[in-house]
Amino acid sequence: MAQNIKILPGATVCEDCTLEGDITIGGGTVVHPRVTIIAEGGPIIIAEYCIIEEYSTIIHKKSDKQENPPKPLFIGAHNVFEVGCKLESPFGHIGESNVFECKSYVGVDVKIGSGCVIGAACQLTVPQSLPDNTVIWGSEHHNREALEKQPSQLLQLDFLSKVMPNYHRLRKPNLHKRQPSRPSQEGAKV
Amino acid sequence: MAYLTQPDFVRYVCSCGQLKPITNLYFCRHCLKIRCGFCICHEVDSHYCANCLENMPSSEARLKKNRCSSCFDCPSCFHTLSTRATFAQTRQDPAAGDAKVENKQAKKMYYLSCFNCRWTSRDVGIPDQPVASGGWPERPNPFSARINQLLDYYKAIAQQEKQEKLDRERKKFAIRGKYITLTDKTGLTGAMARNIAGLPSSESSSSAIANFVPSVASAEVEELPEDYHLREINLKQVTTMAQRLASPEWQPASVARLHPVARPLSVKRSQRCRACDHNLTKPEYNPGSIKFKIELLAFYHMPEVKIISHESVKPGQQSALLLKVSNPTSHEMALRLLPPDHQAETETDETTETHEKNEPKSIEKSLEKSLNLEKDTTWSKVIERKPQMPALSQICIPEVTLTLAQRDDAAEYDDDPQHDTSDIILWRKSNKLALRLKVSTDPSAEVGQPAQVALSLQYSYRNTVPPSAQSAQHRDHTLTTTVLLDLGTVCE
Ligand SMILES: [Zn+2]
Ligand SMILES: [Zn+2]
Ligand SMILES: [Zn+2]
Ligand SMILES: [Zn+2]
Repeated sequence: MAQNIKILPGATVCEDCTLEGDITIGGGTVVHPRVTIIAEGGPIIIAEYCIIEEYSTIIHKKSDKQENPPKPLFIGAHNVFEVGCKLESPFGHIGESNVFECKSYVGVDVKIGSGCVIGAACQLTVPQSLPDNTVIWGSEHHNREALEKQPSQLLQLDFLSKVMPNYHRLRKPNLHKRQPSRPSQEGAKV
Repeated sequence: MAYLTQPDFVRYVCSCGQLKPITNLYFCRHCLKIRCGFCICHEVDSHYCANCLENMPSSEARLKKNRCSSCFDCPSCFHTLSTRATFAQTRQDPAAGDAKVENKQAKKMYYLSCFNCRWTSRDVGIPDQPVASGGWPERPNPFSARINQLLDYYKAIAQQEKQEKLDRERKKFAIRGKYITLTDKTGLTGAMARNIAGLPSSESSSSAIANFVPSVASAEVEELPEDYHLREINLKQVTTMAQRLASPEWQPASVARLHPVARPLSVKRSQRCRACDHNLTKPEYNPGSIKFKIELLAFYHMPEVKIISHESVKPGQQSALLLKVSNPTSHEMALRLLPPDHQAETETDETTETHEKNEPKSIEKSLEKSLNLEKDTTWSKVIERKPQMPALSQICIPEVTLTLAQRDDAAEYDDDPQHDTSDIILWRKSNKLALRLKVSTDPSAEVGQPAQVALSLQYSYRNTVPPSAQSAQHRDHTLTTTVLLDLGTVCE
């Protein structure tokens, strides 16, 4: 698999994590140690101000119905991936301000809007699309619609990006020019 | 063997006949009997809020309808709500200009939020509060007037019935002419006595009964809206049954009408033996403490039986069964295995005797007794039952008396097992003993049925209760308990 990891300035990416394939990590995003991001089916683009916590896994799965060139998996801004969550999505788009709580699982063919919360240990395996502000929780997968998006974690991000460098080796940002967060911008590489 | 997440493989027979794991049983040191939650008296010690740990007397709790005034539960998922602070920008019209810069210092505002389902008080339009606790708007109960009316009515009825009963009781004694009642002696009239006791006079209670209007069923029901069956429903807007029942006053049908539920109080509870009125458990008063002042758990007083392993039970065959027995007491224990039908008859005689002894009592006592339904002693006959003992499988009982050493916490650290093993004793280690037993199963046992065996244990018990002045208690007792072992299902 071709390694092509692009880390934008302002992103905090720990060295001790598995990044494979064509991955772009936006500015302000914090990637904790032991995170696995695998772009085997196509590029993964993570926008700004996301938090990806320990042991979470994001996989862009290979699939038979893939377009050529493969469509990137675009993860919007302000998403929070809590400890041990898993996202396996071969297609499309994850909105912004979503929260994937601890040990949650989002399978193939699940479309996620914005402001959604996948509760701790909730498993989404059936093809479906979650409208904006859907909250799923509990072992019985109760769901409700929140009135507004989840509050942003800017304070937490600020803290993490200050503290992380003191305790972990970080990957250096390798893109110096700020990009608009758009898929497939190969040219801006320095 | 009793664990939180596993089925109860070993169950003990309580003195009332219930089968419970040892962790759910109590041991009355005064009656020397096993008691369980089913056959003891549960008493409320104090009310407290499990969230903020505020303690309150029962009168105050009743006034607050047994709910905490400062904590709330989520109306959506019933998890406790947390208070969250936000910095609200004080809204100003753009014309204000400079004032805006000065007023930049944001005001702290609070709202309630659920960490489980992310419900917030903003979802239903409850305005943010300037203080962290209290001050949340209360939704009035639309039926409060009727409920109060009903409460007054039933209180009055209860009062009246109590009064009638008291009068009847007094008359009964008056006819006998042998005893002088309190009112005869002091010249108090009934009304005066009621006044002194702080009870409402009979006149006022009768007025509550007279003015009461019973509700009338009506055949006229409000029409459903025209489009009721045609409208598309959004299930996310409709509340679940549990959500409606969580606030019975309003029973909201739409999620927009959900309202934080004041958190129900928890109680600290003490448990009392019904036969001798001694406490079996008594918690510490402080709600933050999980310790007990009195804690007579069976776990500390009876030999504990665990199944190490067993061969699968087959009809008409013998299978091996390895048991571990441990002695939790600080005295040496002599142990004998008995067939399960060998119940201790001597013990039952004792209790009937004490019951008879208690019979002759002063009138005050008997009067009190007749007024107080809870003190009724017929309970034991009502609840007592014989557990069904498995008959198809039996343990071959060895004719030996075993001794179990006292519990010694230091012995945990030396780990060479003592070598007095025999064909029954597999190993022995401080206060623990592993037994090798045989289970014989009847050929008529059906394959697939649960395989169970029963076993009685006769053990010596030293009572550590300081002997009271009246009764010269002997300290050493021989007690019997029956355990039921679950050995899976009968195999082919
Ligand atoms: Zn019982
Ligand atoms: Zn409280
Ligand atoms: Zn909730
Ligand atoms: Zn007792």
